Amino acid sequence: MASRFWTQGGSDTEEEESDFEDEIENVGAAETTGTAAGSRYLQANASDSDDSDGQKRVVRSAKDKRFEEMTVTVDQMKNAMKINDWVSLQESFDKINKQLEKVMRVTESDRVPNLYIKCLIMLEDFLAEALANKEAKKKMSSSNHKALNSMKQKLKKNNKQYEELINKYRENPESEEDKHEDEDEDEESDGSGSEFEDPSQLGESTDEEDETEEPDDDAADGAWEKKLSKKDKLMDREFKKDPSEITWDTVNKKFKEVVAARGRKGTGRFEQVEQLTFLTKVAKTPAQKLEILFSVISAQFDVNPGLSGHMPINVWKKCVQNMLVILDILVQYPNIVVDDMVEPDENETQKGADYNGTIRVWGNLVAFLERIDNEFFKSLQCIDPHTREYVERLRDEPMFLVLAQNVQEYLERVDDLKSAAKVALRCVELIYYKPQEVYDAMRKLAELSEAADGEKDCDEPKVEESRGPSAFVVTPELVSRKPTFPENSRSLMDILVSLIYKNGDERTKARAMLCDIYHHALFDEFSIARDLLLMSHLQDNIQHMDVSTQILFNRAMAQVGLCAFRVGLIAEGHGCLSELYSGGRVKELLAQGVSQSRYHEKTPEQERLERRRQMPYHMHINLELLEAVHLICAMLLEVPNMASNTLDSKRKIISKTFRRLLEVSERQTFTGPPENVRDHVMAATRALCKGDFQKAFDVINSLDVWKLLRNQENVLEMLKAKIKEEALRTYLFTYCSSYESLSLDQLTKMFDLTEAQTHSIVSQMMINEELHASWDQPTRCIVFHDVEHSRLQALAFQLTEKLSVLAESNERAVEARIGGGGLDLPLRRRDNQEYAAGPAAVGGRWQDFTFTQGRQGTSGRSGYSAGGRPLALGQAAAAGYSRDRSGKSRGTGGYYGRTGSGMRGSQMDASARMVSLNRGVRG
Amino acid sequence: MANSMARSFLQVAATEEVASPLRVVQIEGLVILKIIKHCKEFSPALVTGQLLGLDVGSVLEVTNCFPFPVREEEEEIEADGANYQLEMMRCLREVNVDNNTVGWYQSTILGSYQTVELIETFMNYQDNIRRCVCIIYDPSRSNQGVLALKALKLSDSFMELYRANNFSGEKLREKNLSWVDIFEEIPIKVSNSALISAFMTELESDTPVTQCDYDRLQLSTNPYMERNMEFLIECMDDLSMEQQKFQFYNRSLSRQQAQQQAWLQKRRAENMARKTAGEEPLPEEDPSNPIFKPIPEPSRLESFLITNQIANYCNQINGVAGQSFNRLYLMKSLHDK
Repeated sequence: MASRFWTQGGSDTEEEESDFEDEIENVGAAETTGTAAGSRYLQANASDSDDSDGQKRVVRSAKDKRFEEMTVTVDQMKNAMKINDWVSLQESFDKINKQLEKVMRVTESDRVPNLYIKCLIMLEDFLAEALANKEAKKKMSSSNHKALNSMKQKLKKNNKQYEELINKYRENPESEEDKHEDEDEDEESDGSGSEFEDPSQLGESTDEEDETEEPDDDAADGAWEKKLSKKDKLMDREFKKDPSEITWDTVNKKFKEVVAARGRKGTGRFEQVEQLTFLTKVAKTPAQKLEILFSVISAQFDVNPGLSGHMPINVWKKCVQNMLVILDILVQYPNIVVDDMVEPDENETQKGADYNGTIRVWGNLVAFLERIDNEFFKSLQCIDPHTREYVERLRDEPMFLVLAQNVQEYLERVDDLKSAAKVALRCVELIYYKPQEVYDAMRKLAELSEAADGEKDCDEPKVEESRGPSAFVVTPELVSRKPTFPENSRSLMDILVSLIYKNGDERTKARAMLCDIYHHALFDEFSIARDLLLMSHLQDNIQHMDVSTQILFNRAMAQVGLCAFRVGLIAEGHGCLSELYSGGRVKELLAQGVSQSRYHEKTPEQERLERRRQMPYHMHINLELLEAVHLICAMLLEVPNMASNTLDSKRKIISKTFRRLLEVSERQTFTGPPENVRDHVMAATRALCKGDFQKAFDVINSLDVWKLLRNQENVLEMLKAKIKEEALRTYLFTYCSSYESLSLDQLTKMFDLTEAQTHSIVSQMMINEELHASWDQPTRCIVFHDVEHSRLQALAFQLTEKLSVLAESNERAVEARIGGGGLDLPLRRRDNQEYAAGPAAVGGRWQDFTFTQGRQGTSGRSGYSAGGRPLALGQAAAAGYSRDRSGKSRGTGGYYGRTGSGMRGSQMDASARMVSLNRGVRG
Repeated sequence: MANSMARSFLQVAATEEVASPLRVVQIEGLVILKIIKHCKEFSPALVTGQLLGLDVGSVLEVTNCFPFPVREEEEEIEADGANYQLEMMRCLREVNVDNNTVGWYQSTILGSYQTVELIETFMNYQDNIRRCVCIIYDPSRSNQGVLALKALKLSDSFMELYRANNFSGEKLREKNLSWVDIFEEIPIKVSNSALISAFMTELESDTPVTQCDYDRLQLSTNPYMERNMEFLIECMDDLSMEQQKFQFYNRSLSRQQAQQQAWLQKRRAENMARKTAGEEPLPEEDPSNPIFKPIPEPSRLESFLITNQIANYCNQINGVAGQSFNRLYLMKSLHDK
């Protein structure tokens, strides 16, 4: 407690003062000011019993301060006069005028203080003297002279207002002064006599010494603390006096008062929470208690004002408890309705527990719950994940889940399914990334800690109860404080997700879907995850969603990719992951760290936004594993591909990222032993290119990210099989031209595969026309056919490609001309294309899928969406073509250079010459 | 090969009409031989030369020609070429040869002559000589056993358009000009003096089939086809470039239109407000506004030329392939027998 006030005190006193002035300004009469000031100081004073006392004390101290300041200024003036310094005199004069204003405000009287008048007279005299003394005037410096002149004018103007007073004072200076002095003394003694005075005076005295209005000394703080504790006591006393005396009205009035102070300067946030908490105990009706509880929670949210910081953890916990109490009340009194749409009646909460009709209380449970969740999330973002604190914090998760479950239950009971879906989403977002093991651990922890917590919880209220008066409205703990988790996280997800699908809005559903996909992928159910992804069409419109949903989408894609790899679907895995890695901004895409871009600086604003989006550490997808999986997938696809297109290697590129890395690693003069994931995969690639599957596997096996996988053995086994397979394919691609025939036995031996496997792989290659060969069954040999396209044939192929590109773009041009939506099509298409590049490989299924979807659209709506979809696919294909083209033209470029361009060039020459010749003729 | 048709100058002069369209280009056998010799010797480099002759009504007689020297790199200055030309003309006049320029000839490879440069040259000639032709000789094609000689001129409507330098789609539609209508091919007639004709008949052997006729059954068309294919591919690339230009234009145009629409809407709303306020409405056209500046439509000339070129290649391929098939069928039937 003390520390809290230490931190608060300084600013409080200062603010308090300025506040105070404001109030006085606002309220005209001295009387009312007194009341306001009193109530502000002694907040427990419901009845203004000892108001006058308080008022006097406070006002006087302020007045004193002002007077003191004025005296100081006058002293300064005197000094300035002595040295004939008109510049400083002028400054002081301005200052004293300002001070006068304040004093006038403080005293609230029309009478100008004598001190001021005295000062004016003094100045007048001095001025006259100075003006009379012509010689001295001449000697003055120019600035001084200027000051003197302006002073003369100012004083003349100023003194006109007070002419009367000045004259009066000149007539009778002594008496006035005496009287004033007496008064002063009186006040002094008065002040010191009062026991309550100490703190404020202490504070003030330091102020005076500083001459400034900002007392940030420890003394002031200490005083403040003292005052507060006193006030607390007062408050307690006020209500302790006689429970029966407390009426709904008093509580309500007090409540309004406290709430009104919310957000004002000088309102201690903690203090407010405490006051409100106290009020909950003395609330007369359940509805009132509820109302106050809502305010408590709001106040608790206010404790941390910044967007970046998080709520203190203990406050958060209390907040959760308060929410539970709210739910208790709501369950106990089903006739109370919480609503944030209507402004309820002023005295709605007066209706007691026995009131039968519905009582409307303002509040929004879902908003509160979401805020609590956000705070939890934020706290996890802020806390260093490698500390114990983080783990401790994570343990609070079940607490929140309990609350969420209860809120959801309640909402379902009152049939507010929309909100229930929102709450369910919050639960889903806490559950979806947990593998079964983590989920089990959480479940156990919840059971254990709940047991312990239960005791503690029992203790705590007791302590409070004994401390304060027992609450008027006792709320039994109706809502369960213990989370009930199903055995299987999947079943929990299913329940929540189906609720959301039924009742949620678009965004909620989309997010739930993504979580669902993620969760399925986590559980190695690739086909389900993929089907969900495709059915939801999230890929089509994810671009239009908010950033956090996009991040969730990226996470889901990454997880689906990992899942595909685990179940041995290499191409699919690569399809999911390649897009993530295409930009080199994986961290950013997954919100697992901020990546610095060399090319454009981020504004601080952007950076802050990004930081706020970051995933807490425990939700991270291991980036190394992700990279390893991505690169291995790329390797398994790319190595045979490179081998099959040795002649024009640029022709078909499956993974650009991989190619780039490979180029970089090939450029190295010496290759050291592999260190990071990338090096490992590159080393494996080199081995695989030579067909050395064993070495490739060993290198990959030595990666230590594999221990992050649950079924490590199976995955590695699968990987080994795949590597062998691709090694065989690579070997066949590379060396098929060197063989007339190749025996099956030889191959099986070379690659340590079974005969059936080898047979099937080779057959598949034959069917796909990758390998021009046939089986010779009796001898169990592969007989290679040397099929080589003649140049003419190759050219014909090339030409057909070109033609299809041309036809494609022609169609598009026609589309733009006749079909609608030609305008923003290019933009959308580009987006889609990016996507097509990635998930298209999730399976051929996807393409079919969207395609048919597009077709359906044609029949239904205008050509807009219908036109967009299939085109996007076409575009992707076109992109492929164009890549091909560039590769090819490079390949045959030499040839063109020799004939085509050479000829054209010479022709151009010829015609140019003819022109010139012609000119010659004319000339 | 030799197709003689004797016509006296008087006859021709009698039938001459005023500005009759050019119907026939009549070339002396000598000129053809000279052209062939010149082009073949320098093949595969491309060469040009001047055609001299007479313009007689609807017939353009080409009676002589001389080659331009091959320019070595850029060392030669334009003036030298002009001087050579003038000098040559002077000399020819001195020996009493027709020195009236009627056009030029040039060699080409695989008929890839349809370029902007050709058109420019043509326009230049056209300025001075009302009737001029360009004779194109393709030595590579001649290897296939055809006399690949073509006389070309630009169509009148195209020339008109070209002078206006306006190849927007609208104009082209207006003139109803398609890519086919750029060049006009004029039939060539080869004329020989009676003496030569007689000599030729003398030379002709009696037996219908000679050894060299078997050479015609040769099937070595592959290189030729390949080259054609390559050029076709190149043309496709060019064409898609052109297409991209149009796409870009379309896109920017529609964007501009949208902008204009937005601007108009704004202006109208403003005018409404002004009207209610009793002020003079602002004009709905604001020429100073950059969004009203029309975007220049890309010229279609290039794509027309490319299309022409493509058509040319296709014809060539067609022709060669047809001939090859003929030969194959012939052989097959011979075998069957």
